[in-house]
Amino acid sequence: MNWTFRQAMTWMHTWLGLVLGFVLMVVFFFGSLSVFDREIDRWSIPQTRFEPQPMPSFDQVLRPLMAQIEPSAVEYAAKMPLLHDANKGPMTPRAALPIDEFWAYTTHRDPVLLVGADFSVPLPRDPAAHNHIHARATIDPRTGAFLNDDQLKVGSAFFYPLHYSLHLKWKNAGYFIVGLAAFIMLAALVSGVIIHRRLFREFFTFRPRKHLQRSTLDLHNLTGVLALPFHFFFAFTGLVIFAASIYLPLGHTVLKPLHDRHAAQESARTGLPQTRAGVNAPVASVDAMVADARRRWSDRGMPGQVGFLKIHHLGDTNSYVSIYRAGSDRVALVGEGIHFQASTGRVLHEDPPREPASAVHQFLTGLHLQHFEHWLLRWLYVAGGLLGCVCIATGFVFFVEKRKQQHARQGSAQARVVDALGVATVTGMLLATTAMLLVNRLLPADLNGAANWQIGAFWGVWLISALHAAGRNGPVALGQRSPAWAEQCQALAVVAVAAVLANGWSTGAHLWVTVPAGNWPVAGVDLSLLTTATIAWAAHHKLKRQPGMVTAHTQRTSVPTEATHA
Amino acid sequence: MPTSPPRLSRWSWIHRIALSILGAYALTWGLCALAVVALVANGADFHEAEHGVLIAAFLVYLAVFLWSFATPRLSQVWLAVGGGAAVSMAIALFWQHQLMQ
Repeated sequence: MNWTFRQAMTWMHTWLGLVLGFVLMVVFFFGSLSVFDREIDRWSIPQTRFEPQPMPSFDQVLRPLMAQIEPSAVEYAAKMPLLHDANKGPMTPRAALPIDEFWAYTTHRDPVLLVGADFSVPLPRDPAAHNHIHARATIDPRTGAFLNDDQLKVGSAFFYPLHYSLHLKWKNAGYFIVGLAAFIMLAALVSGVIIHRRLFREFFTFRPRKHLQRSTLDLHNLTGVLALPFHFFFAFTGLVIFAASIYLPLGHTVLKPLHDRHAAQESARTGLPQTRAGVNAPVASVDAMVADARRRWSDRGMPGQVGFLKIHHLGDTNSYVSIYRAGSDRVALVGEGIHFQASTGRVLHEDPPREPASAVHQFLTGLHLQHFEHWLLRWLYVAGGLLGCVCIATGFVFFVEKRKQQHARQGSAQARVVDALGVATVTGMLLATTAMLLVNRLLPADLNGAANWQIGAFWGVWLISALHAAGRNGPVALGQRSPAWAEQCQALAVVAVAAVLANGWSTGAHLWVTVPAGNWPVAGVDLSLLTTATIAWAAHHKLKRQPGMVTAHTQRTSVPTEATHA
Repeated sequence: MPTSPPRLSRWSWIHRIALSILGAYALTWGLCALAVVALVANGADFHEAEHGVLIAAFLVYLAVFLWSFATPRLSQVWLAVGGGAAVSMAIALFWQHQLMQ
């Protein structure tokens, strides 16, 4: 085959960009929402609308939970028969599984505390394997009371995992699809720069009053180039974050021998036991260990709060407690971990400063995950993510605008299919998101299965939007614009306003209460919804004003027009 | 804008796309494994080597992917990417085996 490098780049940008653009849209949009995932959690679970709390006293609040927390029933049913060896003896009932590890995690934006436990599997098939059944729960750190699992954390437990895994758990398929999309984003940015040689001039070119195909391309170039470093950085660091665990897990696969030898040497060097000794021992005061850790951080010139705390090999003489610092004041996710012998509270090991490559790695991933406290930067992340969405969405529109006349003449359905998918991915996704928030505020707080209703509403509304987009876009096959864009914008405006009203109605915390009180997590979600509604209404209005959407190109070619006003 | 590339059969496109994505991925695996083993053999800490290599990995993957996709002759791509992946992984595994002795 004979083609030039630029031809190859153009083809790749168009087609791989199109196919993976639908995934990228989801990744960019829910990534933008994830910047404020904890705030969306507050909005969606009214009982948790209180000030962020520090890590509570372990001895008073967390210690009793270790006896109450139970292994996940779903995970027990799925994994226990595989991990347990029936030839060695009967399977241990779920409630009787021995607890092996316990942890607690919080950030500067969390009123609630996430706790978790890993339970051992007695009589395992492969004693060397990772034989754990997990548990996780959310508690109110002021009282130690468990929050109901049905109270879905819409931000951190639904939008955020959607951003990096699409909720497709089978064989990590979601991670690989998102990873491929992120990689194609990198390739599309490079090829985009190669295609558009007049990059600097295009940076300043936007002709909104030209015909749609031209102005969409301008906007596509503008948003792509303006935020090019942002797009490249986030796609790149997103891949780096999951490289060692999912995309290139060298240490768990081909280089497992080297990795395991290193782990054994590391364990010998640090004095942190890798396995249980089999001799029971109690846990001393963890609060004293926390106080010791905080004193040591202060001595290093970095006083701070505890962000993550974990007890390994619980109840055994080999048990140790790892205490990590919250990363609110620095970019790199450095925990400055200090490890204590659980039975005595004696310091076993302090994590040394990172070596250069690991320090760079932590800085890159830290900048993506932004656990640090910087509200302006947080908003800039949202702006960057939304610019990415505009870049991808204009890519779809440009694809359709460029081809629909030609496809209309040829009788090809290609432009129509892409248009329907574009509508479903842009306005359909926004409708599903706002509808989920609306349903969240309409359901009774104590309803059984409330989480499933909200998740069902999200996917259901998205599916209906896709069907609507496909059913209404006949005009595209005739070289016209689909009315589905305008109709879904209108619906979006209505649903977004309804969600704000539902919040005020169900909690009494409407904007006249939350803004004067400075309750920004709640007011911020309401205001964002109202902004969405305003933009959607304006878009609807603008689209309606140009019903035929006759471009200069349409006027020159004669296209059958019987369905102009479908 | 350049003219569109020549019309080819669907299979030939699928072959090119699959080869450039998966082949470049395989070569990245091989090169990363080799680089980590080489660094560890020269005294680097395993995770330090891994962290450094995995930062570079996606830039290498990107360059190899773009080259594979744009190279006119797929036989050249097969040779470079497929051969490179096999050779680098084989050396990495053999070297690791030597280190573990």
